[in-house]
Amino acid sequence: MKPVKIAMMSLTHGHTRKYYQTLRDNSKLDWVASCAEDQTAKDVYELYKTGVPCYLSAEEMFEKHPDIEAVVLASANSKHLEQVKFCAERGIHILSMKIPTFNMEEYDEMIRICDKAGIVCQVELEMHYNPVVIRLKKLLQDGVIGKILSVQATNITLSPVWAFPWQGSPEASFGSRVPLKSGDARFRGGALCDHPHIFDLVRWLTGADFKTIYSAVAPNLREDLEVEDMLLVNGKMSDGTAFLFDPSWSRMEERLKVPGPGWEVFPKRMEVNLTITGEKGVLVCDCFGPNVYHNGAPNDRYTVQYTYFDEWVGLIDEFVDCIRNHKEPMINLKWHKQTIEAMNACYESIAEGSPVKLG
Amino acid sequence: MNAKMNEALAFLSEKYSVPHGEIVMDGGRYKVIAADGTATALLPWRVERRFFELKNLILNKTLERVSTLRFASITAGGSLKEQLARELDLAAWMLNEKIISLYAVCAKDVAANVIVKFGNDVSASIECSTKLPADGRPIDRHEIIAGRGIASDQAVDTQIPQYSIYAFTDKGEERYTDVDSELFGFSNDEIWIIRAAFAVLSNPGLSAEWNSAEKTMNELAAAVFESDRSGSVIKF
Repeated sequence: MKPVKIAMMSLTHGHTRKYYQTLRDNSKLDWVASCAEDQTAKDVYELYKTGVPCYLSAEEMFEKHPDIEAVVLASANSKHLEQVKFCAERGIHILSMKIPTFNMEEYDEMIRICDKAGIVCQVELEMHYNPVVIRLKKLLQDGVIGKILSVQATNITLSPVWAFPWQGSPEASFGSRVPLKSGDARFRGGALCDHPHIFDLVRWLTGADFKTIYSAVAPNLREDLEVEDMLLVNGKMSDGTAFLFDPSWSRMEERLKVPGPGWEVFPKRMEVNLTITGEKGVLVCDCFGPNVYHNGAPNDRYTVQYTYFDEWVGLIDEFVDCIRNHKEPMINLKWHKQTIEAMNACYESIAEGSPVKLG
Repeated sequence: MNAKMNEALAFLSEKYSVPHGEIVMDGGRYKVIAADGTATALLPWRVERRFFELKNLILNKTLERVSTLRFASITAGGSLKEQLARELDLAAWMLNEKIISLYAVCAKDVAANVIVKFGNDVSASIECSTKLPADGRPIDRHEIIAGRGIASDQAVDTQIPQYSIYAFTDKGEERYTDVDSELFGFSNDEIWIIRAAFAVLSNPGLSAEWNSAEKTMNELAAAVFESDRSGSVIKF
């Protein structure tokens, strides 16, 4: 199979650096170029010494590399629509970050644009390729605990806003400046926007859609943020499954400009855990554990050193397969739409102080 | 199982444009045979990611001034000598140092307690036992104690390995840790054998190094029993 000529754009998303090794190692890919949003993003990119040329303009990158077939859109959420249009006009396949947009008119426009251009648009929800999640799905399919009755899930992390400032900007993250609720000085665009995975997983594991959602924000841990960092969500799925989610930035961090050792204050900087109650038993699951642990440099704090991180391998494999074999990705824009609607419903619930019905 | 493991190895070779090879069982251990016929002893623990991460913590100076290793391994049966060989090689590889002496006390052929000295004066204790009940899950621990920092593959306040998934049903408790989505479906032991073979095929320079390490670990494991028999420190 001819390798797919791929590029990365913007390089401002928190997941940017996680692609570097996979793009280099996978022989089905030929990573030919990158273009940075600005000089700051380019400077950070160059720290990683990928050896892949980096431009400051997408136009220049495509002019110099007219053979690019696909891109990873590693950009702020507010940039996605214009970049999808830019790529679709050129027939370039797209790997979108986990939030295409929160604006549902824009979302539908993205679907139309991609359909019309006949391009692959895969949404980056890498948990689907996590080996623990693959096992979890298999256990549920095998009926080990019977029908799912209840799901509790955490997607809790440190806040990435100091390294990726757009994630603390309501306009760049949520897409517009919308107050969380009456009398609250904060705006939509914080921790919730960073954590779609558990909303997606509950749909994938149950095969059901969201029916009702209630959400409440708590006082921020980081008082200088203008977006939410602590919230809880619960509700019911269309098959009756009750759920409770914590998608907060509840793990504190050093305010590093470039992620690296010593970023975390709490030992585990990122957790996706699920507890699933079924008619015949209970599954408890840590998607990122066990690991190895240390209290060495740079800060001498007890720290989880993550050991297993290969979600990006499977994700990119699927992307290449879809491009070369004209398949639709498992997580495509249409599938993902209900997840985004559910996240929007959380914000509506926070604003109204009451549950929101979906569907 | 060799056939399935070899299918997986071929898949990785194809995917990453690496020369093909074949995993074979020879003398109770796995080897990989490269296309040119070179046979290489597989040391799967050297590609197991938790050990790789622990070694990296030393290499990248997260830990400074390593003083002592504390390794333990308990299995349900199996060869005590094989366990000792693995743990002794793991310790030497992790430190990138040669073992210069050891003193061991054994209990029959089911348990051994060993104190090892390395060329850089670092010490290691190796505790091995084969007396878990039949079908018991292996228990191990690998701790590195340094002047700056302690690292371990066991979380603080736990005595036994943790798992990614626990299933609690009427049939009892079942546990799972899956570590490799490309090789999903293989046991973790099989995964590290396949990954070790792939490492050798990707980097043929490993062949001489691993064959030499296998010879050394056999000698070290034999020395454990010699030390116990003679009551003396064995020097290398």
